[in-house]
Amino acid sequence: MKSKAVEIVNFTKKFGDFTAVDNLNLEIYENEVFGLLGPNGSGKTTTLLTIATVYKPTSGDIYVFGHSVTREDYVVRKLVGIAFQEPKAMWIDKPYDLLTWHARIVGYSMSDAKKIVREVMELLGLWEHRNKQFYQLSGGTRKKVELAKVLIQKPRVAILDEPTAQVDVLSKHALWDVIKKLRDEGTTVIIATNDMFEAERVCEKIAIIYKGKLRAMGTISELKDSIPRGDVIEIQYEGSRIPEKLFASLEEYGRIETQSSTLRIYVEKGEEKVLDVIDLFRKNNVKILRIMVKEPTLDDVFTYITGAKLREES
Amino acid sequence: MEVKEWIRGAVLVAQRDLSRFWRNIYWLAGQVAMNIADLVIFAVIFRGLVNPAFIPDYIRFITPGILCLAIFISAFSIGREVGIELRREVTQYLVSLPVTRGALVAGRIMGGVLRGFLYQAGFVILAVVLMSMPSVDKWILILTSSFLLALTMSSLSITLSTLTRDFNLQAAIRSLVYFIFFFVSNVFYPEKALAMRLGSAAPIAYYSPMSMAVNLYRFGFNYTTSVDVLFNLAGLIAWATLSLLFAYKVYIRNLTR
Repeated sequence: MKSKAVEIVNFTKKFGDFTAVDNLNLEIYENEVFGLLGPNGSGKTTTLLTIATVYKPTSGDIYVFGHSVTREDYVVRKLVGIAFQEPKAMWIDKPYDLLTWHARIVGYSMSDAKKIVREVMELLGLWEHRNKQFYQLSGGTRKKVELAKVLIQKPRVAILDEPTAQVDVLSKHALWDVIKKLRDEGTTVIIATNDMFEAERVCEKIAIIYKGKLRAMGTISELKDSIPRGDVIEIQYEGSRIPEKLFASLEEYGRIETQSSTLRIYVEKGEEKVLDVIDLFRKNNVKILRIMVKEPTLDDVFTYITGAKLREES
Repeated sequence: MEVKEWIRGAVLVAQRDLSRFWRNIYWLAGQVAMNIADLVIFAVIFRGLVNPAFIPDYIRFITPGILCLAIFISAFSIGREVGIELRREVTQYLVSLPVTRGALVAGRIMGGVLRGFLYQAGFVILAVVLMSMPSVDKWILILTSSFLLALTMSSLSITLSTLTRDFNLQAAIRSLVYFIFFFVSNVFYPEKALAMRLGSAAPIAYYSPMSMAVNLYRFGFNYTTSVDVLFNLAGLIAWATLSLLFAYKVYIRNLTR
């Protein structure tokens, strides 16, 4: 049985009159990649910064491996490493100096610090940028420097706030592999993102946060299954119309949308219904050109749960 | 928590601030040059203010003042960086590190002290050349005065920088502090001139940390023997202690929201 890496209990954070996070309760288990999904301003970053002891809860508490962020903040900081959404460096800083100092402050000796910094910089393709000043780096490279801090630290809980924002597509895939490797080496990873593809690609469990409140939590398949009739059977058929009798039979499975010679049926557990649908087409002598079963996307889940479109909100 | 861990954290934070300091060395040289130019203009043009009857040798008189100036400019630079870091939220990174808040604040203050100490070193050599070589006990007094003044300036600059995130306000406050500390002190003019200009308000200047430090430097470099060492040293200790406590409290309060 996995132990709780992070336990968020009745956590509320207010900035003046504004409530950024409202009575959040979450449990994140050891060695999982946990995603916080929500649009900008939903309270993801506030939650992550409080886990990292940057903010203090207004009420409630957060425990990291049983240690309270309010009463044992120093112990928590020894367990947590964070890659910020906006890279935190002065413009004249150089990545190598920055990371070497970071390695020293998280506990490495000077010789070990130099070794691990080189190793991580090479892994992330940062070595050639080591002596550039921060303002000379692209947005994606700056984000990699942030991630490098966590990889150097190898904390028990790694917090990554939008780790691949501004990173090119090729590098994104490489970084996702790096994140999974970090998990495999024993780190619990918490990722805040509004990139649904990223969430699907790396997260094992997801919490959807919207307007400071937890709206849903579960594995990706659990969340997708939570949408009634969320699967779509998409059929492209020969001809421009289908017989009324066939249409009426298909309607029994779920809501139908048609567009030229393509038909979409919204069903539950589409993989179980698809054979019946094929059979109906065959019996009505309508030739199927192409058929596929599509799962709902996380965007669909988000829309269903919050009534808002994640992309539009972000 | 182990004391060793606390000290390690503070030392590394101070080391970070010191390494950044060298990158601004030319900017600081410019600051000192501009201030010295101002002093020379004062000395040459405002002859009535710096009366040759009061100060026959202005260069020797002002040299300990330049030591104070070097400390002020270099130790105060830590506040400028703390201010920039607060505005750009780099502070969030610092407070997320496995270091206690106390060690972080202590490290930053010590970073400012070291900046002041190191930057002043070249001017101390200049003072030896222009004035005289102090005895061993006077060296101890000079170094103690420098440490206390640097501690006061570093702490004050951190306090002032964390009071507001508005850069313009920070710059204005810094200028105001400079004005109060240097112009209402006997760094640039002798006590007789101060008494003449400020009248009954002149004693205020004697309580300025700059006046206290410059008196001790003048005594240390054998410019004068008529200095109340105990009063000035105790005053500097009081300034340093109060500034340190205030900075600690204000910075810690502003570190975590």
